[in-house]
Amino acid sequence: MRLPGGPLASLRRLRARPGRSLVAALGVAAAAAMLGTAVTVGYGLHTGFDRAADRADLPDVIARFDDQPVAHVDARLRALPNLRARAYRREFTGVVLQSGPDVTGDGIVQAVGPGRRGYAIARGTDVRGGDEVVVERGLAREWGVRVGQRLDVGQGSLRVVGVAVSPDNVAFPLAKGPRVYVAWGALGQRFASRPDTNLALIWLNDPSQLDATLTQARAASFGLGGLRFLTRSGVRTTIDQAAGIVVALLVAFSVIALASAGVMLAASAAADVQRRLQGIGVARALGFTPRSVAAQYALDSAVIALPAGAVGLAIGALVSYGPSARLLESLNELSPGAVLLGPLALALLGVVALVAAAAAWPAWRAARRPVVSVLRGGDVPVARGTPRLPSGFVGLGMRLAATRRRRMLATVAVLGVSGGVVLTMLGMARLLDRLQHDPGLVGKRYQLTVDAPASRAREIARLPGVAAAAPRYVVFAADSFELGESLKVVAYPGDHTPFESPPLAAGRRVRSAGEAEVGTGIADALGVRPGAELALELPTGREVRFRVVGLVRAFDNDGRVVYTRPRRLLAADPGLSGPIAIKLANGASRDDVVRRLGRLGLEPQPVTAATTRNAGFLGVLAALLRAVALVNGIVCLYILVQALALTARERRSTIAVLRAAGAGQREVRRVLFGAALVVVLGAAPLAVALELLVLAPAVSNLAASYVSLPLAVGIGQIAIVIAGLVVLAAAASALAARQLGRERVVTGLRSD
Amino acid sequence: MRLVTATALVKSYGSGRAARRVLDGADIHIDAGELVALVGPSGSGKSTLLHLLGGLDRPDEGSIELAGRRLERESERGLTELRRSQIGFVFQFFHLIPELTGEENVLLPARLRTNGGRAPERARRLIADLGLGDAAPRRPAQLSGGEQQRLSIARALVNDPRLLLADEPTGNLDQDSGHHVLELLRFVASDERGVLLVTHDAEAAQIADRVLRLEQGRLVE
Repeated sequence: MRLPGGPLASLRRLRARPGRSLVAALGVAAAAAMLGTAVTVGYGLHTGFDRAADRADLPDVIARFDDQPVAHVDARLRALPNLRARAYRREFTGVVLQSGPDVTGDGIVQAVGPGRRGYAIARGTDVRGGDEVVVERGLAREWGVRVGQRLDVGQGSLRVVGVAVSPDNVAFPLAKGPRVYVAWGALGQRFASRPDTNLALIWLNDPSQLDATLTQARAASFGLGGLRFLTRSGVRTTIDQAAGIVVALLVAFSVIALASAGVMLAASAAADVQRRLQGIGVARALGFTPRSVAAQYALDSAVIALPAGAVGLAIGALVSYGPSARLLESLNELSPGAVLLGPLALALLGVVALVAAAAAWPAWRAARRPVVSVLRGGDVPVARGTPRLPSGFVGLGMRLAATRRRRMLATVAVLGVSGGVVLTMLGMARLLDRLQHDPGLVGKRYQLTVDAPASRAREIARLPGVAAAAPRYVVFAADSFELGESLKVVAYPGDHTPFESPPLAAGRRVRSAGEAEVGTGIADALGVRPGAELALELPTGREVRFRVVGLVRAFDNDGRVVYTRPRRLLAADPGLSGPIAIKLANGASRDDVVRRLGRLGLEPQPVTAATTRNAGFLGVLAALLRAVALVNGIVCLYILVQALALTARERRSTIAVLRAAGAGQREVRRVLFGAALVVVLGAAPLAVALELLVLAPAVSNLAASYVSLPLAVGIGQIAIVIAGLVVLAAAASALAARQLGRERVVTGLRSD
Repeated sequence: MRLVTATALVKSYGSGRAARRVLDGADIHIDAGELVALVGPSGSGKSTLLHLLGGLDRPDEGSIELAGRRLERESERGLTELRRSQIGFVFQFFHLIPELTGEENVLLPARLRTNGGRAPERARRLIADLGLGDAAPRRPAQLSGGEQQRLSIARALVNDPRLLLADEPTGNLDQDSGHHVLELLRFVASDERGVLLVTHDAEAAQIADRVLRLEQGRLVE
């Protein structure tokens, strides 16, 4: 015998119990909202670079070199066999840009030649004439520059004709200097006497042959001074450095949020079946097959999940789309726009399938049990072996919840996972804060730098309050065998550990000029281990070799960093220089040292830990975290309300007896609070353990496997989350008590 | 002394053609020290009348006066307070809370009283008077029906109410247990309380001071 089927029959059944259907729909919507947030954030960040790169037609290689006549460079590029297309620009840095009160002396002007552009026009048109300028989106947003208005560029005033997005760098103000584009024709008029080029954009026929092409390009580059290549993957790495770990953390969080939403959806659907267990028994008693019972539950759940899931996903997407889009804008990447509808539609299908399966499975299992057992086991509470709990109304509530052990454990598990995710977000926020303010986090032990010749290091070291000072040589090099792998080489004249001491993962520290410690990021990419030889090609084209003696867990440059002594580097590039790193003495005042350095005519810069130094950018990230946390908080509230609604419904006769004896709303609320509290008390340690032992290490590993991120939360944050859970328990019990208060006492008394 | 007076009570269920007038002008009064038995066929409205008198439900028409207060004019909060201080309920299915011991069940209503400081002492006395010493530390699932019902009577009395409303208190008990429970209710009434006993039990009618029959929505003596 089959149950009356079809979506219309399901709709009729659901309309017959509107309250319960609404509760189920709210649960699906809450979990779907979390999923929507995760999909929006995760998909947006994961695909942002590729989307922007495709839209902007980002070249496979960007080559920078000293000024050369175009014909001279073009002759060499044309000779490359893998060349598909090329375009030239002339870049000027340190140009004054001004729009009204906004002004910067760090402007970057790029004169674009004919051919492919390598940037996308987001608004307006591209440059055509000498009087026109296209501004980067970051500048347009930050300064409120609109198409049609004029912008002072250097000595002249140009008409803004368009706004461009180019993902070959992060956006202003995350990038120090804003970029604008002018027509090649404007070169002679405004910026240079001769139309030379210093930047070439190269598109390849076969990007997989990038290494071979770069080798050929280097071989053909004789006479091109200051040649540096930036590959598309290198651009990606550079941009990732800007948001770096935080973007990776958000993507990692989205994965965890996704899993958490899945668990919640399944638990919610299973709880609904549990609530309707007696109905299953009746259906079986009337002769319906387990299959038809399961199908009915699957269909009923799907009919609820489809609209509720759509609403929840839409809410999650809307809440997180704005902050997510601002984050992408900061990275010069594009929001997915309507493309996001695809993943959201897939997520909706997933939600419906998950809810239907989660409803069908326990229904099928229940329907296969003996009918009498299902009918008896419906909602009859069993009070065997209830643990010793406090007396009073709160204690009574705790006992009522503890009676249903399996349900309580399931609720504790779901709430614990959600609480763990919230704690992880707090840990991430704390990490962001530390990344911004605490250089020690990334192994930096110096607090100030000054741009000064290496010879002044001793003079600075003698200043009161200064513990040590040494030149910090930095050069970006390429691996000689895999030229696409760029890495950062940091060199100190002596022991580097007083200034930078990333934890040693293997081997030992550098002791001589021919040795190097290698970050695990580059070690993993190149398969380098202690004992191996590392050959690096410097920007000058000279090669230097080091023996790898240790692996370090370095944050810097995503772990693509090499620590060594400068002798070999200086031999290969005598012009190499770097700022002087200053380590303050214990208890020394930074301000005092800054004043003393000022008296020497030096301008010290404070050292930060984060790869990004922009407070606005961190604010965007914080907004994103808050949005996700808000959704998660609502989900936690729903979990508690649903657990209480189930307990209240099951124990309505108990509540009715209490009310008949003179219990008012306040006492009922206390009973329900006790039922919620016992769940919270179980979930809180689970959440803490989950964060410390599972989520934080997992997120850390997903975000940056090359270091150990200190994502563990502090006592204060744990206290905040536990207090938040208790507040949510109070709110949930108030909501459920209010609902119960509307029911007539007599109805509850008759329920047995 | 008159404890409760209800006049011209009307209560209907359903609407339209399905509407059914369960009480149609019922009058009742209960005096202190009186045990009144209410009998009538199933569905005649006995429990409905008991719920109205206990402030668990409101009449469509008519008035109920208890302890000088008109129940139909009281707010939900006022009815709650009246139930807490003036009324005790005994149910056919006992409605003891399975997670609590017998003593904890008896004490539960006392926690509702602001001046419940003497409640533990009173509960212990009630438990002793009703012969429930062995049942007090045990959970309801470990007790017989008679013990459970006597515990529920103790629970109804712990706040020292003036009026005790018992809905089929022997309906779920064997003959001996039912007899003990009826004796107990008789004893309760002798302590200057009013007891209204809804019952099908012929023995219950025999121990009552008055027997009222509910017919066609009205009460006849």
